[in-house]
Amino acid sequence: MKSSGGRRAALGLLSVAALVGGYGLAAQVYGQPEILPTLGALLGAFHGLLTGQAAVAGAGLHAHHGLDHLSGLIKEGVTLQGALLASTARVLVGMVVGGLLGILTGLWMGWNRAAAEYLHPVYVLFRSVPPLALIAYVMLWLGHAEAHLLVPIVYAVFTTAVIPTYHGARDVADIYVKAARALGARGRLLFWRVLVPAVAPSVLSGLRYALLIAWMTTVGVEMLMANNGLGHLIVGGGLWSSRLQVAVDPAVVMVGIVGLATAGAAMDAAARVLGDRLMGWRKAARRW
Amino acid sequence: MVTAAASAPVRRALVALVALALLYGVVSEIGSRVLPRRIWMATHYIEDVELTPRYASLAEEAVFLVRAGILQASVLVSSGRVLAGVLLGAAVGLPLGLAMGRAAGLESLLGPWVAFFRFTPAFALLPLYVLWFGFGEGPRVGLIATAVAIVTLHGAFEGARRIPRVYLDAAASLGAGRVLVLRRLVLPAALPSLVSSVRIATALAWVTIVVAELIKPAMPSLGYLLALAGAYPRVPTIVVAIATTGVLVLASDVAVLVAYRWATRWMRRRVG
Repeated sequence: MKSSGGRRAALGLLSVAALVGGYGLAAQVYGQPEILPTLGALLGAFHGLLTGQAAVAGAGLHAHHGLDHLSGLIKEGVTLQGALLASTARVLVGMVVGGLLGILTGLWMGWNRAAAEYLHPVYVLFRSVPPLALIAYVMLWLGHAEAHLLVPIVYAVFTTAVIPTYHGARDVADIYVKAARALGARGRLLFWRVLVPAVAPSVLSGLRYALLIAWMTTVGVEMLMANNGLGHLIVGGGLWSSRLQVAVDPAVVMVGIVGLATAGAAMDAAARVLGDRLMGWRKAARRW
Repeated sequence: MVTAAASAPVRRALVALVALALLYGVVSEIGSRVLPRRIWMATHYIEDVELTPRYASLAEEAVFLVRAGILQASVLVSSGRVLAGVLLGAAVGLPLGLAMGRAAGLESLLGPWVAFFRFTPAFALLPLYVLWFGFGEGPRVGLIATAVAIVTLHGAFEGARRIPRVYLDAAASLGAGRVLVLRRLVLPAALPSLVSSVRIATALAWVTIVVAELIKPAMPSLGYLLALAGAYPRVPTIVVAIATTGVLVLASDVAVLVAYRWATRWMRRRVG
């Protein structure tokens, strides 16, 4: 509007550069690499996790303790890409399964008033339980299998996806449905040509939010109980029992966080692009 | 309470909840008799596990926890952390979001950082916070505050951005000063978005505190109760802890919802 895109981009870049530079300076001045890793240490950790080799022998902190975060991870063969892949896979599974269930439930609730009145209180109950609180209980049923890790993620996505779909189906579609019915539309035609397009925007924006929740739950699950993935990388690898003994290396944690943010932002951008393409017909009315 | 004149939705809600309670009762009775009591836990067997605890066991467990004072203490501590974190986070996020929504320059400056933190799951920051703020309340409350700040900032930003230009121009042409514009125009117009973001943030705060307390446990706290119960494992305790957390989440959500409706009552009067 007022400022051009170029000026805004420049300001953004400037602030990023300033903060990174400022941080680098502060880290050097502060002089305690185990609290504030220097930019060099960050790059070293990044390089180590990417290639699977420590840049310098005993590069990580507390190397002489043998419980070093970075070299422990490298010894286990954990790489940034591998962890990224594992986490992304979990998020995708959660999104597909949980999203599908959530959308179907939301559509049903939005379509059928009686169903909504019965199901909504039950939904509110389920939604009040934080997904990660279920881990302990689910473990008793499923053991340490992958399914045990996926259940909280699917659950989280499901509970997040229901409400936007439900509200979209209930509020937005009503008038269109009535008009279409008055014109003689029935059944499948009504569903695919009227309900779905009318609900689509709410569903997609709900799914974008569900993506954030999925990532959050995935990282939480991995930090608690997984053997791979970014959460596992951040917390220090190894079995759960030994996790609390690893002295956390902030450089590794920061690298992990950057990886997470990048992956999350990339998936969100992809979701947005997908949404725009699917809803090209609404370009005129849309406002993001 | 439930008279013949109760509306259909309320009736159906009650029916659904009662049906759920009865269903669980049936499942737990059958399960207690049929399900195995010996569970394999990665390295060894655990004896005497009630996979679906009956209401009797749950009641017994709840009474024990209350008598021992464990449940109350955990509830108080965890709720206190959530409250502190929400207040702190909102105090940072709301003003910042409003400012960003009003000043395009600020938005461009802070934009990349906000986006970065938005896509960073809060838990990932926990090890860093523990390293920087030591053990104790700092990291946990700080973590909740961070997550809340991000969400409320986004809500305030959206709310400030959506103010119809017409109002802003009218206020400017009538000579309103900046403070007046803020107080009488920006805040009321953005209020629904602000409070609804606080509602989302409160739910997020609870999710965060449970995990934060699971990862770095210390008694008394609900997360630690959950972790301890899971480690034994004592299923009735797990279920009681989960149920308590659910009730607290629900209660805080209702509280914020009530605040929301009170704060926007002047809006609904017009829409009628």
